[in-house]
Amino acid sequence: MSTRRIFMRNGALALVGTSALPAFLSRAVLAAETVAHGKRLVVIFQRGAADGLNIVVPFEEQSYYAMRPTINIPRNAVLDLDGFFGLHPSMSALHDLWKQKHLAIVHAAGSTDVTRSHFDAQDYMESGTPGVKATEDGWLNRALHALPATSDKAAFRAIAMGPSLPRILSGSEPAVAVNNINDFGVGGKNPKAAPMSNTFEAMYEHSVDTVLHGTGQETFDAVKMLKSADPAKYTPAPGANYPRGRFADSLKQLAQLIKADLGVQVAFADIGGWDHHVNEGSTQGQLANVLTTFSQSLAAFWTDLGNLAEETVVVTMSEFGRTARENGNRGTDHGHANAMFVFGGPVKGGKVYGKWPGLDSSQLYEGRDLTVTTDFRRVLSEAVYQHLGNRKLDAVFPGFEDTPGKFLNFLG
Amino acid sequence: MRRMHNNFLLPALCAGMSLGLTVAAIGKKKQETAGVSEHQCAVHVLNRFAFGPRPGDVDHVTAMGADKWFEQQLHPDQIDDSGLEARLMPLRTLRMETREMVENFPPQKVLKAIAEGREPLPRNPAKRAVYEAQLTRYEEKQDRKQAAATNPPSDATAQTTASNTASDDEKARRREAKLYADLKAEELLDLPPDQRMKEILKMPPDEQRALIGGNSSQKNEILQSMVPQQSETAMALNNPQQVVTSELMQGKLLRDTYSERQLEAVMADFWFNHFNVFVGKGADRYMLTSYERDVIRPHALGKFEDLLVATAKSPAMLFYLDNWLSVGPGADAALGIRRQGGKRGHGRPNRYPRNWPPRQPNANMKGKNRNGLNENYGRELMELHTLGVNGGYTQRDVTEVARVFTGWTLHEPRQGGDFSFEERLHEPGEKTVLGKKIKENGEKEGLEVLHLLAHQPSTAKFVCSKLAMRFVSDNPPPALVNRMADTFLKKDGDIREVLRTMYQSPEFWVPEAYRAKVKTPLEFVISALRATSADVQNPAPALGALQNMGMPLYGMQPPTGYSMKAETWVNSSALLGRMNFALALANGKLKGIPTAPSIVLGEGITNGTQSPNSPTDAHRALAAFENAYLDGTVSPQTHDAILKQLDDPQITGRKLDDNRRPPNLGAIAGLILGSPEFQKR
Repeated sequence: MSTRRIFMRNGALALVGTSALPAFLSRAVLAAETVAHGKRLVVIFQRGAADGLNIVVPFEEQSYYAMRPTINIPRNAVLDLDGFFGLHPSMSALHDLWKQKHLAIVHAAGSTDVTRSHFDAQDYMESGTPGVKATEDGWLNRALHALPATSDKAAFRAIAMGPSLPRILSGSEPAVAVNNINDFGVGGKNPKAAPMSNTFEAMYEHSVDTVLHGTGQETFDAVKMLKSADPAKYTPAPGANYPRGRFADSLKQLAQLIKADLGVQVAFADIGGWDHHVNEGSTQGQLANVLTTFSQSLAAFWTDLGNLAEETVVVTMSEFGRTARENGNRGTDHGHANAMFVFGGPVKGGKVYGKWPGLDSSQLYEGRDLTVTTDFRRVLSEAVYQHLGNRKLDAVFPGFEDTPGKFLNFLG
Repeated sequence: MRRMHNNFLLPALCAGMSLGLTVAAIGKKKQETAGVSEHQCAVHVLNRFAFGPRPGDVDHVTAMGADKWFEQQLHPDQIDDSGLEARLMPLRTLRMETREMVENFPPQKVLKAIAEGREPLPRNPAKRAVYEAQLTRYEEKQDRKQAAATNPPSDATAQTTASNTASDDEKARRREAKLYADLKAEELLDLPPDQRMKEILKMPPDEQRALIGGNSSQKNEILQSMVPQQSETAMALNNPQQVVTSELMQGKLLRDTYSERQLEAVMADFWFNHFNVFVGKGADRYMLTSYERDVIRPHALGKFEDLLVATAKSPAMLFYLDNWLSVGPGADAALGIRRQGGKRGHGRPNRYPRNWPPRQPNANMKGKNRNGLNENYGRELMELHTLGVNGGYTQRDVTEVARVFTGWTLHEPRQGGDFSFEERLHEPGEKTVLGKKIKENGEKEGLEVLHLLAHQPSTAKFVCSKLAMRFVSDNPPPALVNRMADTFLKKDGDIREVLRTMYQSPEFWVPEAYRAKVKTPLEFVISALRATSADVQNPAPALGALQNMGMPLYGMQPPTGYSMKAETWVNSSALLGRMNFALALANGKLKGIPTAPSIVLGEGITNGTQSPNSPTDAHRALAAFENAYLDGTVSPQTHDAILKQLDDPQITGRKLDDNRRPPNLGAIAGLILGSPEFQKR
């Protein structure tokens, strides 16, 4: 995807080769045209611990090749980023965004907690409080606390694509889980089901069970809004080629909800299949396959959003990285630091942020894993502060000292 | 008709049961004077130790006493389950060995071997047809690949065009095959049922697939007219692997719904989830049938250590958590030492696998040595199966446990091979786990570690707190968990004893525990099927509903298993899924699950004397369903919400003053099943 649809001042649809157009310029063109829909943050979770070292490959590190004799990505196969790092060859779709300077990468990012348990590490990344189990809500929910809702549309302020509401969005701000926008309602599209829906609404609205009551209310608000907005009419934009699969479907539907102007401020989607203990593969294989889906889906989402992408920031995360050395089964075991992707209109892309800790044995955490040099919250808090405009970071990431002075400044 | 209007307090005499037999006997005496309470006790045990009450269950348990019912449930082998057996009869793979399944419903790899002439086709005509259908499909795929390779697309655009054209051709072919298949389906229905299979086997593979893969009513009629083995073969013509997983899921849904051994079913569900294995991981799709049947269920109420050892040796777990591939860095296999027989010190004969290392599923990896540890099982064994994440182990323990379990492997997992210990893969030398020295002892090292882990206080606490979370509340009282953990340690991990301790604890019987648990999607679906006494002829729509609510059977990919807590399952999508399932079930909209006769006939509404057409019937129906599905404990909010709608023509089927049409009983039943109250147990 070397072109991207943008709306020009006269409203005519134009196809512009944005690889030739610097990001600040394309943003400037768009800023004048964009209706104030409000800014939004989309968080993507790669569940299962993605192998950051084979995704953003430090191809100038000799030890990388020494430690991964069978699963390394050969130097001539990587998509070069900056002469030191290169993307896995399955990520050409995102490489285009890099070239257009919309995509930034933070390498060696991760949690201060050293657990190598998927469950705990995901929990900490979603609660935003590494090491503290008692936290009841998720940081993405708290990120909304100090923010005014966009107009009266509260129901879709916070949405998770999938059959359940993830930890990251649980909390006091209303948040909905949407599995499929086409059957999000009682009785499907059957107009005769309306009285049923109303009756259920009345039951749940007045239920004394706090959990069911709250969720019921949010649900029916969302159902009504969705009905009037009819997001199904927003088909993917030309050039937004979503691959097959659940992750792509999630993003396609998320784009529909955003385009239907439902007031989405924070959104969440996840993609599994990263836990490659065995036969991870190199330029081809298991990791390559899931990366293709991941990369193509995100690129399609970007294209699909059109000018709305300018006010959107997407951040990706995974609970931890994987061992620097491959294991005995041409796979990798649970490790520590990982790579995060950040892209969107206001992102100063085309750069790998963060301090690279190196891969020599002495530089590795516990002699086996990439060392964390950037707290994942440092990346998230910059997005929450600079993009969403939430100034109360201590409420979003309690116990984490952060000030704008410490930001990596990937947002301009 | 009782309506408790939400002010139910579990009476003190339920708690009387908690204090052992003597006091329970006193409790019984008290109960005789207060029938209501006994009734509520019955509801409580049926909600916790069963997948909810069926019509008549509450009365039955009340009559025999909850204590006696519970004791009976602790000994499932003494409960007749022939009703369930009859329902499971058509699902043949449930009784097959893994190897047999692989043979009858071949995976890709076997088909490939036949296509390449490395193995012969089976002779049995039904089996042969299954293989041939798949071979045709396989060869088509190869042809397409070859075509793509000989005409390499020059750039990305051309590639898209090429693949579009290919898929257009493919679509056209499929359309045509479907057309013929539809015509053929009509012909088949004109044949006597016993001749249909023969005709299907004569059809070209494309048409067979179109017929079986489609969703026409003719197809369903044809399949239903066949004997089980025939309909299985027919299904296998389209997708052989799917027969195995489909029967596995059907079997579970039927068992949970209809088994008289409800506690065993609940516990098997609990342990499967505790020792979770994902059906979508490669060869595991063939292994789960045996895993659940031979590993989980027989130990569901037995000793924890036996269960732990059984899972550790199960092909399903060895494959799922990769231990079958783990090799000690200092093992002979890793060092390339080939010894001809002989022993390694502690006297186990050397048995070389013929083709070690096993072949990789990934072609470009062939021929390279593997020579390292895989920590996956070692970590999850301690984090999820025994000690719990804060159970006091370190990364070093993880690595040491991984070393201990090297050599615990599988022969030909994709052909249904079983556990074997391979000395050649086993890491030599002493290991240290949780500070304890494990002397070099081959396979027995693993058993020693499992014994050690099974008897740790951390394990007792972790396992018991999960049990209490399943049976008592999302945040179980520490005193209860401690009491259960004490029993666990004292009674050598006897699960039956642990459950008894829980049953006899006041915490199980406090009013706050009554209907305090939000049902998981599985518990909701099964309890609805049971409450309505549904006759499930085809579980597929119920299985689909579970998927929609985020809980596909055997579908949890990470080893954590599904959450048992409310917060995971109460969300917009899942709630709508529940309401829609409730309405569809009560209105006969689920294919293969007809509306229960009690709903159609208004049983219990008319008292047998009045016709179900009198003007007050909608109200009587509401009261009857509240009583039947919620045991009368309905909140005024829910009751009033439905009451308000009772004169809506959509719900009643007619205006209040119009007594010519009967009320829409399905709508009322569906509203009750979708109500907040029915979401709890």
